[in-house]
Amino acid sequence: MNIHINGKAYSLGNKISITVALTYHFNQPQQSTFAVALNGDFVGKADYDTIMLKQGDSLDVLQPIQGG
Amino acid sequence: MSLNIYGQSLDSRLLIGSALYPSPQVMKQAIVASGSKVVTLSLKRQNPNEQSGQQIWQYLQEIITTTQGYLLPNTAGCKTAKEAITLAHMSREIFQTDWLKLEVIGDDYNLQPDPIELLIATEHLLKEGFKILPYCTDDLVVCQRLYDLGCEVVMPWASPIGTGKGLMNPYNLETIRARLPDATLILDAGIGKPSDACLAMEMGYDGVLLNSAVALADNPVFMAKAFAQALQAGEQGYLAGVMQERQTAHPSTPTLDTPFWHQE
Repeated sequence: MNIHINGKAYSLGNKISITVALTYHFNQPQQSTFAVALNGDFVGKADYDTIMLKQGDSLDVLQPIQGG
Repeated sequence: MSLNIYGQSLDSRLLIGSALYPSPQVMKQAIVASGSKVVTLSLKRQNPNEQSGQQIWQYLQEIITTTQGYLLPNTAGCKTAKEAITLAHMSREIFQTDWLKLEVIGDDYNLQPDPIELLIATEHLLKEGFKILPYCTDDLVVCQRLYDLGCEVVMPWASPIGTGKGLMNPYNLETIRARLPDATLILDAGIGKPSDACLAMEMGYDGVLLNSAVALADNPVFMAKAFAQALQAGEQGYLAGVMQERQTAHPSTPTLDTPFWHQE
């Protein structure tokens, strides 16, 4: 299964949850502050374990930054 | 003399951005020196294994703890209502606030807000309980529509973001103030000098949001203090009531008993 996380391509096995996919993005997700969108729609933290990714899915993982 | 943001009373009328400072240390010093109680920030993709984003987040949390202030997340970079709505939800989860500086950009050249997408996103997010602070142009009708939708705060621009051009169209801004007397009006973007902020306050604006004018100053900490004083001066001038402009000269010194005067 091929997905994108922040525009970067990943080739992962089937039945991968968002929680698992995040471990490919972060070394230590639990120590990071972030929020997630799947294919452009917000996904709350409570759903990371239950939503299974599909072929072609695109995750955006955003973190706080300075802003005006 | 407090600023009211959706029922929250703040003892500073300056809202300040957290970007573009020469260092995190200078950012903190400048924000504290400004006296601002509201600091803007954003969400972006970042390299996950560089901890710079995490460090900035911790720094900003320290700042609002020091100032006993509030975070105001923005939706910078969004070009559609849908993008802004998604980013709003992501911001609310991370920052645990309903406040949102709603930006939907319609043109890449001057970063001009898209009024149509902005109105769509505003209507949607207000229904979801967000407290929207919409960034818009100085178009009276757009400001009216935003207010009518339920925005207690409306934030027209002074000029395009980061230009420092000051108040491009004072007539428009004065008209918005006159036509929306009950709205909390905050002038946002394009401020360059403390006198720009002072002018906005003399017009009766409720506050000013700026970033580059302080962050890009030679001395951001001094400039932050200058802006704080400029806002106070402008507000006091507005409250004191500015004299009517007159077409002809009038002597300030009494003419009665003028020395060396001889009646013909």
